[in-house]
Amino acid sequence: MKELFPRGQVMGFAFSLVLTLVALSVIMFDLSLKMAMIILLVTAFMQAALQLVMFMHAGESEDKASIYTNVYYGLFVALVTIFGTMLTMIWGYQ
Amino acid sequence: MQADERFTDATWPASPEKATLEGKNKYLGFWLFLGGETVLFASLFATYLALKDKVPNGDAALAKDLFELPLTFVATMLLLTSSLTSVYAMYHMKNNHFKQMQAWLVITVALGFAFLGLEIYEFNHYVHEFHHTFTSSAFGSAFYTLVGFHGAHVAFGLVWIISLMVRNARRGLNLYNAPKFYVASLYWHFIDVVWVFIFTVVYLMGMVG
Repeated sequence: MKELFPRGQVMGFAFSLVLTLVALSVIMFDLSLKMAMIILLVTAFMQAALQLVMFMHAGESEDKASIYTNVYYGLFVALVTIFGTMLTMIWGYQ
Repeated sequence: MQADERFTDATWPASPEKATLEGKNKYLGFWLFLGGETVLFASLFATYLALKDKVPNGDAALAKDLFELPLTFVATMLLLTSSLTSVYAMYHMKNNHFKQMQAWLVITVALGFAFLGLEIYEFNHYVHEFHHTFTSSAFGSAFYTLVGFHGAHVAFGLVWIISLMVRNARRGLNLYNAPKFYVASLYWHFIDVVWVFIFTVVYLMGMVG
């Protein structure tokens, strides 16, 4: 069955607009820095997940397992790089 | 099934981008490439975060002096919308509607050019109003490397999509070029994902402090 109107994608787009506006609320309202960072990170990762699943159809293929393994591996290395850098260059430890 | 065979709406497969072995391999291979791109951008984000606001003296502009919400918000909307229009293009590709696919790709490319124009204006503004250049500070180097690399990806994506459109303008859709269009649209979505993080980490977090 071929679908003519990509309803799911339009909903996904509307949702990503909402997420952008929620992220903007950080600027509009006077929030604590910690709260602001949490909101920003949560909305950004939700946006990324939305694009991956709704728009890029990461799961709709026979190679689903390989694709997700690769995505998670890339994400793992990315997060280790970013937070490792933060730990050694900015936050410090002791 | 011949890759360059002519199809009618009835014989066109439901997922033309994955109907041939070559298409399947391109699709998987492209995801592997995107994994590498993720790590590349992560290292640029890490560099930016470590060097943010590292300027040589008190006169140099910091993130909170530079960034303005309206410009970056418009840029975000342009890129998010272009992500949706490329989805429309791929829907028409899956339904064997070549002309509509080309039309939506034209809109996608136009939005991409508008985004790039805003970015060029933005960089020009920073250089001339704030003397915030690539060599003015570690902050400047890290900022232009990260955001500029994304801009270069947008420019490359535009060249890629336009080349595909011109090259296949008279050929129409077949199982040989359907995966090419599809993979280009995946790249375009990836650029959008990276921009969402730049918008959040560089601009919004920069404005918050």
